[in-house]
Amino acid sequence: MGNKQTIFTPEQLDAYQVQNKLNGLFYRYRDLAPQLVPLDYTDKPDVTLPYELIGSMPELKDNPFRQRIAEVFSEDGDGNMTLDDFLDMFSVLSEMAPRDLKAYYAFKIYDFNNDDYICKSDLEKTVNKLTRNELTPEEVRLVCEKVIYEADLDNDGKLSLEDFQHMIIRAPDFLSTFHIRI
Amino acid sequence: LVENLASMSTRERIKAIQKMPETMKKKREIRNSLSEHFHQLWLWHKTLKIIGGEFGTSVLSYFIFLKWLLSFNIFSFLINFSFITVPQFIAAEPNNLSFTGLELLTGAGYFQQTVLYYGFYTNATISKTENGASYNMQLAYIFTVGIYFVICLLILLFSMAKSFCRNFINPQTYSGNASKLLCTWDFNVTNEKAVKLKQKNLSTQVKVQNPGDAKRCSNMTNGHPTIVPSRELTQQLSVQLLVLFLCRNIILKISIIGILCYYWLDIVAESKSQCWETLIGQDIYRLILVDFIFCLLGSFFGEFLRRIIGTTVCVSLGVPEFDIARNVLDLIYAQTLTWIGILFSPLLPGIQMISFFIVFYTKKVSLMKNCQPPRQVWRAAQMTTFFMFLLFFPSLIGVLSVIAVTVWRLKPSEECGPFRGLSSMFAAVSEWIKILENYTGSKWVVWIYNNLITSELFFFILSIIFLIITYLYWQIIEGRKTMVKLLRNQIVNVSSSFSFILFKIQDVHQKAETVGFAVPGRKVTWRGSRNHDEKTHHLKESSMPPYSYVSLCLYIT
Repeated sequence: MGNKQTIFTPEQLDAYQVQNKLNGLFYRYRDLAPQLVPLDYTDKPDVTLPYELIGSMPELKDNPFRQRIAEVFSEDGDGNMTLDDFLDMFSVLSEMAPRDLKAYYAFKIYDFNNDDYICKSDLEKTVNKLTRNELTPEEVRLVCEKVIYEADLDNDGKLSLEDFQHMIIRAPDFLSTFHIRI
Repeated sequence: LVENLASMSTRERIKAIQKMPETMKKKREIRNSLSEHFHQLWLWHKTLKIIGGEFGTSVLSYFIFLKWLLSFNIFSFLINFSFITVPQFIAAEPNNLSFTGLELLTGAGYFQQTVLYYGFYTNATISKTENGASYNMQLAYIFTVGIYFVICLLILLFSMAKSFCRNFINPQTYSGNASKLLCTWDFNVTNEKAVKLKQKNLSTQVKVQNPGDAKRCSNMTNGHPTIVPSRELTQQLSVQLLVLFLCRNIILKISIIGILCYYWLDIVAESKSQCWETLIGQDIYRLILVDFIFCLLGSFFGEFLRRIIGTTVCVSLGVPEFDIARNVLDLIYAQTLTWIGILFSPLLPGIQMISFFIVFYTKKVSLMKNCQPPRQVWRAAQMTTFFMFLLFFPSLIGVLSVIAVTVWRLKPSEECGPFRGLSSMFAAVSEWIKILENYTGSKWVVWIYNNLITSELFFFILSIIFLIITYLYWQIIEGRKTMVKLLRNQIVNVSSSFSFILFKIQDVHQKAETVGFAVPGRKVTWRGSRNHDEKTHHLKESSMPPYSYVSLCLYIT
């Protein structure tokens, strides 16, 4: 990669602590909309890709939670992501992220109404997404009650971040399943 | 971000801010390392992504294990080739034997006089020019093999410990079938069909785990109710079957290798035949070749033919699933054989490398064409830790014992190999130390050898120290376990007593409004009872409140 132009200024490199190899992810971002994303990031352009483009990536397009993932990592909460958000998303979903960071973001993804608690309605939406709406409302209700019964430690009827993290400890596969390869 | 923070309550804001710098810093660090790794893992990166996308993390763990074992072989081949084989080429004797194609199968004949086997290597000190730098083949051979095994041991030890640390879970606390829903969605799966299949599996699991539905009774054939085992029961059965299968397979393979090693070390080595190390090398070559052929055949019959049968002749069987346990155990067996063979045939890791490459592509093609994604839950993280442990404990430790016996106890053959004429292979090192004693500059090497490596007292003291450290760590773990239990009880107690007090205050206040004075001793319906494990504090529903709480509430009111 000899004579390609620099994409980031040295200050930006310092701030992001990245090296030139980050360009792999950058090119993936750019490939989504080449006409919107400039090749030169030295003047910090304010570029945001709309959710439809992000959700059409092959790694995300069949994931039932793709909308929530994009919303959680985007700055405006609507799923429209800047390069920064994009990099954050894939670094948290990589295999190097520590368990508590992943648990924190998984909690935010399952928290549909963004109230810092996974309440019954959040759980119902999650279960419906996980089973593609094939369960009857009665079964969904039963499952949600079971989950809250098992996981709610402080007994307030909803799952806080601590309850969720406690549940994660009992699922050793979480680190390898909450992972997207790019 | 600032607007978000401003809109939260103070307590939440403090929490959010506490979390933020860590998460930001961690995110930056991860981004940095991620970009580096992005290029390092490029070998088969796309293939692994496709496999993970269609079949999920469990099947992917087999291929990652295969790739990891391949790296051991590549490393061994490189150092053996550079340090042992290349110098041998310089001092090679001509090969008078003829080559027929049969030698590829038997490993004997033409190959006997090549660098493939121990017997061909010279015991001389090779030097290109007179008085130039010399290369002692004996020391090179024994040190290369020795250092390789030490490095292998350390790598395996650290990987196993790291994996154990991340993934170990106390089997008692693994409860909560429903909570599994939230934690086990496989984000790796990117193929549309696979996602739909997973969702269908999950909904089936949920349906069958909820008793009391009419669905159970609908399993009536010919008017007679059939007893359908619940999904939990079938899962328990399948776990037990898996354990049984693993035990049987492992014991079989350990016995095979054990008997073979006994045969080689006790009978072949003492048989006074011309070049017993080369004979053992040939045996291992043939074993590895046959194992490779049967691995391919197993794939052919187990997956390809089974799919044909399952889709045309006997449709109820269905398409096969990829048998992860059997394949991983085959890999471990092949790797054990290779490790044993390194001393007798230095280029064997190269052959195994080629075989692993072919196996990878064969299994991948067979998987894509013939198998369906797994239906049962396969705890990939715990199983990978278990397989790594298997690779360490019976496999590598066994190999090290075999190598140790060979190097220390057996007499090398008289007419061939780098150690011909010595009393044992290790004698090369002791002779070298004797030579070193004459040089004042290397006295420290002699001292280390005499007092640390050959001295039994040193190893005795080292073992005592390790035992003490292990015991201390074990006690610390026990103490922490008790602490965790106590803290968990405390959480439950505090939360329940706090909520109870609030409820009681509310209740008493209401009563006070309607009646005019506080009424103690009212029955409380307590929402939910909590059973985290048998020894935890257990609150029954509608129990009488303890006297202290009542008096506290009265005081507050």
